[in-house]
Formats: sequence, structure tokens, C-alpha cells
Amino acid sequence: MLDENRCLPWDWFPASIPENVVLDETCYLETSFSFFCYRSQAEVGVSMGHGASSYIGTMFDVGPQGSVKIGDYTLVVGVRIVCDSEIEIGDYTLLSWNVVLMDSYRMSLDPEVRKRELERAAMSGQRLPMFVDGDAPPAKPIRIGKNVWIGFDSIVLPGVTIGDGAIVGARSVVVENVEAYTVVAGNPARFIRRLETSNEVREK
Amino acid sequence: MSVEEQLKPGYWTDGELKPNVRVGVNSVLTGDYAFRRFFSEHDPALVIGNHSTMDGVHFALGKDARAEIGDYCYFTNAVLLCELELRIGNYVVIGWNTTIADTDFHPIGPAERIADAIAISPLGEGRPRPAINKKGVVIEDGVWIGPNATILKGVTIGAGAFIEAGSLVTKDVPPRARILGNPAQIIGEV
Repeated sequence: MLDENRCLPWDWFPASIPENVVLDETCYLETSFSFFCYRSQAEVGVSMGHGASSYIGTMFDVGPQGSVKIGDYTLVVGVRIVCDSEIEIGDYTLLSWNVVLMDSYRMSLDPEVRKRELERAAMSGQRLPMFVDGDAPPAKPIRIGKNVWIGFDSIVLPGVTIGDGAIVGARSVVVENVEAYTVVAGNPARFIRRLETSNEVREK
Repeated sequence: MSVEEQLKPGYWTDGELKPNVRVGVNSVLTGDYAFRRFFSEHDPALVIGNHSTMDGVHFALGKDARAEIGDYCYFTNAVLLCELELRIGNYVVIGWNTTIADTDFHPIGPAERIADAIAISPLGEGRPRPAINKKGVVIEDGVWIGPNATILKGVTIGAGAFIEAGSLVTKDVPPRARILGNPAQIIGEV
């Protein structure tokens, strides 16, 4: 997919794909603009599996320690991925437009600390991409299982695990773990019902 | 020379600022769509303080709108829909894709909505629009607003409040409250 300069032949944005991004030969990435806010120093900052795809405005807003893993056949359409620790997305998972996965608040919850950090950031001249405040609550990994479907405009907050086969309804805000093979929806998201499935699908 | 005087005057990366937009020192605005829906005739219409970053923010200000944003603010891709008044203090952080609106955009009553639909149609030339509810929004110092949040008209958010991602804020928020949900509820304090 990448040429000798690590560029995408069909790209509208003039950038290359960072060295620590591992893309399977069979995956599809629409644009290098997805890495505009990317600054991961991890060994693998982003990986995309066999047949995985990322379309339109997907943003890998990945901090220096962040690492994002996208499974096989997983579809990511314009998702904002804010990652300072680890975000793992399983196989056959569908993520819709404007979904936000955030494993970190990036700033302290204390307004007095935020005030200090904003002054520091403004004076440092280095305001883009987003800085990380030293007093922010620690980032908590997000784990999304395989065969999960997350509806548009939904948000997954730090530390959340979503079990295999679950569905998150559109515009939900997921604040706590979601059990495998259930439907949740709402803001905050709550349990709606269980999904019937065969063992054959579960084992896939 | 003071520190402030040594800093770069505020600017917009994608063009020249209109005369009724005032931007303080060390502040920067980005995004070619920043003023695409800016129609305010007030002077000044938009005032932004010092050291603020407005990264990809839409300033959709109607004809009579006024907006004021303080110092050391940091907004990414926020959409500010303002027909009346928006007052944002200092040290306010607003996340990606958040919308703030101080108007209902259209009248509530069905008959008035028909009149409005006609007035704003291609055939509506010159017809006055019916009255539409507008009520200013106030966001006090040190407020943090997460991505995909929505702040509706007439709301005052108290100093230091923490608005979680995706919140739909329809009522005033006390200072330092942590809120979440649709409609947003208080879930704690910071």
C-alpha cells in the first residue's frame, strides 16, 4: 500500500506515514492526514490488521506513550482516537463516524492546575498538537472486543472495556464496561437487551 | 518592554481578520471555514483575549451577535452558533466537535414555523422571519468541556466546572460541578 517514501499513492494530504505505524498489506488507509496529531514514540504506535480499513477523517491523536491496535477486518470511519496509553480494537469491529475513543482526559480535573498548565502551554509556543498536562489523571486503556458495533457520535471514556459482539447505539456515552453480546444505548449508556448468538460465531 | 508587548499580535492562519474581530497577543485562529458563517455587523463582534488558541473553530455569528472569549483559552473544532451573545471567560478548554448555541434557530409554534420556512426559502425574499427564542450563554473561568458536548441557549456554566464528553447541557451548572449525560446531570465535584 505504501510507496518507497511511506506515502499513500491516492492521498490528498502531502505527508508520509510515521515509521512506527504497522499496516498490513491488505488494509486500507484513506489519508495520512489521520496522523496530523500523531506523536507516538512507542515501538508500534498504530497497527492495522488484515483487511482493516480507515476512511475519511479518522484521527490518530496518539500521545508519546500511546499505542493503538486495530484488528482484522475492522472498519473505522472518521473516528477520533485520543490515546495516551493503549487502545485495542478487536477483529470484525465496526466504528461509525464521529465516534470518540478517549483513554485520557489530557488535563487535570482541578481548574487551578489547568490554569497553570494553560499558561505554560501558551508561553511554550508549542500548542499544536495537544500537550499533556503532568497532573492529568493517568490514562486508562480502552479495550473493544471483536465483532463490536459502535453507532455514530458515540463516546467511549477512559478505562472502558466493551465485550465481544456488543452493540453501542448511536450517540451513546459509554462510561462503564459493556458485557459481551449485549446492546447498550443512551447518555450515559445503559443496558438495553441481550443478543442471541451461536457458539460458532462466538468462537470466530 | 513588557512581556505582552514582545509577543506576536493575534492572527488567523487562513486569511485577514475582519475589522470587527479583535484578537489579543499570542492568540491564533486556524481553519479556512472559521468565518464562513460570520455575518455579525456589531463592532466589535468577536473579541478574543491574549494567549488563546482557536483551532478549527467555527464562528457562526448572526447579524446581531456578539461573542467574547477570554485569555488562555484552548478550543479545538468547536462550533459556536451565536445570534445574540456568548461570553466565555479565561482558561476555558473546549474539546473537538462541541457545539454551543444561544438560539433555537426556528420558532417553536407550528404556524410560526411555516412562516419561517417560507421566509428563509428561495422565494422568501424580503419577508421578515417570526420571533425566535434567543438567550445568551455564559461560560465562566476555568471550565473544561469535553468532545461532542452540546451547550444550549441561556445556560451559565459556573467557574471550574467539568463537562464530560458528549454532555447535553440544558440548565445552569454550578461552579466546580462535574456533569455528564443527556440531559446532563451532576455526577460529582472537582
